[in-house]
Amino acid sequence: MSPKLLTVIIPSLGMLPMLEQCLDALGRSLEAAGVREQSTVAVVDNASHPPLPPKRIAAAGAELLRLDGHHCFARANNLAARRWPAKHYLMQNNDVLVQPETIGEMLGLLGRMPQVGICGARMVFPDGSLQHAGVVFGPGKKGPYHLLRTKPSHLMPRIDREFQAVTGGCMLIRGELWQELGGLDEDYPFGLEDIDFCLRARQSGQRIFCCQGSESLHFEAMTPGRAKLDSPSRALFMSRWQGRYTIDG
Amino acid sequence: MPKPKITGVVHTRDSAATLEAALASLAWVDELMVVDMQSSDDSVAIAQRHGAVVHQVEIAPRIDGVRNRFTAQASGDWVLVLDSDEYLSGDAPDLVQSLIADKGGSYDAFALPRYNYLGDQVMVGGGRHPDYQIRLFKKGMVLWPDAHHTLPLVTSGPGHLWEVPPSRGPHIHHRNYRDLRQLITRQLDYALTDLYPSDPASFDFAAYLARAHQQMALRSDPETDGDLSQAMALVMAWDAVMRGLIHWDSLEPRPPLNMLDGFPRAAAQMPRWEIRLRRYLGRHLALKHLLRAVRARLRALLPKRG
Repeated sequence: MSPKLLTVIIPSLGMLPMLEQCLDALGRSLEAAGVREQSTVAVVDNASHPPLPPKRIAAAGAELLRLDGHHCFARANNLAARRWPAKHYLMQNNDVLVQPETIGEMLGLLGRMPQVGICGARMVFPDGSLQHAGVVFGPGKKGPYHLLRTKPSHLMPRIDREFQAVTGGCMLIRGELWQELGGLDEDYPFGLEDIDFCLRARQSGQRIFCCQGSESLHFEAMTPGRAKLDSPSRALFMSRWQGRYTIDG
Repeated sequence: MPKPKITGVVHTRDSAATLEAALASLAWVDELMVVDMQSSDDSVAIAQRHGAVVHQVEIAPRIDGVRNRFTAQASGDWVLVLDSDEYLSGDAPDLVQSLIADKGGSYDAFALPRYNYLGDQVMVGGGRHPDYQIRLFKKGMVLWPDAHHTLPLVTSGPGHLWEVPPSRGPHIHHRNYRDLRQLITRQLDYALTDLYPSDPASFDFAAYLARAHQQMALRSDPETDGDLSQAMALVMAWDAVMRGLIHWDSLEPRPPLNMLDGFPRAAAQMPRWEIRLRRYLGRHLALKHLLRAVRARLRALLPKRG
């Protein structure tokens, strides 16, 4: 059987009501893009206790990959990508509500620009301030950060733009690139494995864009226990990449 | 060190509805064995499609003796037993291999935690989790007594059995009941087909009412499992009352039912302290479960090994 056009991977540790809203918005976006039938939506239950209810996940139009051990974000995504191979992978957080236009815009950009391997999405917080419109890199220990994060959304032009990296909160990746790079690096406990992946993609000659046409909603860092894993991830990232990326200023 | 070889064993009898998920979750084992009791549905075809070696056996009242015969035939160093309405998670291959690598040198058998589903919901309150099941063991190290609902024995002794903490272990996922209707249907079927003592003099309806009282008290855990736990407690209490009536109806001559007299006596037979103790220990009704719970708690106080 030939791989589908798209596999959307959504790891989740509990958070069922949020996840159902996420799947509902995603379903509308896949419908609007006309790719619902060519897509697999994969929810990775990353050791929720009690487990996520299989019938409710199926009713939301998603496949369920249950993991009994709690795995890092990278491993959860890699396992799902291996289970449902596709021509494109969309990594999405369970606290992201995509707009109906979002998936179509992202697939459209990769379709128009064959040299682009990864496409991110513009996202806002519930108060309308920017959550993500591209990742830039600061000097010294500042490292990667979200451009204009928490600033009013109108400060960022609505023009698709190239970056060195975009967030994995909602990131579309060509399947060939995913295979070539071996998926996400599982050494990262939680966080910055997405930026690591982008930098590795650039090293293999791929360009990275962020779609600015629509504004999806991202509540950000809703998963319990995630904050304590940020520091070791950041330390690992900086030890590997500091001095190897370009300072954006 | 080479990876130890693992044999998966699944028993079937008209199990087509759930077998696909069970066998798909065991696709990674080195040897897959399906022991079929004369299924008339697609169980055997499903097993063959998954590359299992299928053994046909006569229909037996109990699975336990049959288990021993076929686990002894496994070619693996370790045996992993699943029921046909159970399955493992997507990361089970990693978790099982690392469990064996970490603890297999110190223990001969592992009791795996089990999630029990009622419909779409896992029931975890009232001692329904971790619901340990001895299912992963070195070949020849576990025997099932040939009796209903008895615990398997670790031949090298209980000290060589490790109950895998739920936080680090693979779970068995058990789709107990499709929905509440199936639970009610099965309970009624069991109650109607069970054997009851035939001596009218020994009949005591209050004993059944006491059991109903006990079921209501122990199984209801709405703070953990919500309304479904109350529904389950009501079904099990109803089951106890139905059994009392079925028993009474089967007697000749029928003794007095003494229903009104039975209620206060039933409450006295299940004192509040016993309910509290059993809820604290997180186990249900059978004494063997209580003893296991006490033993596990005492063992937890001892220095850890391995």
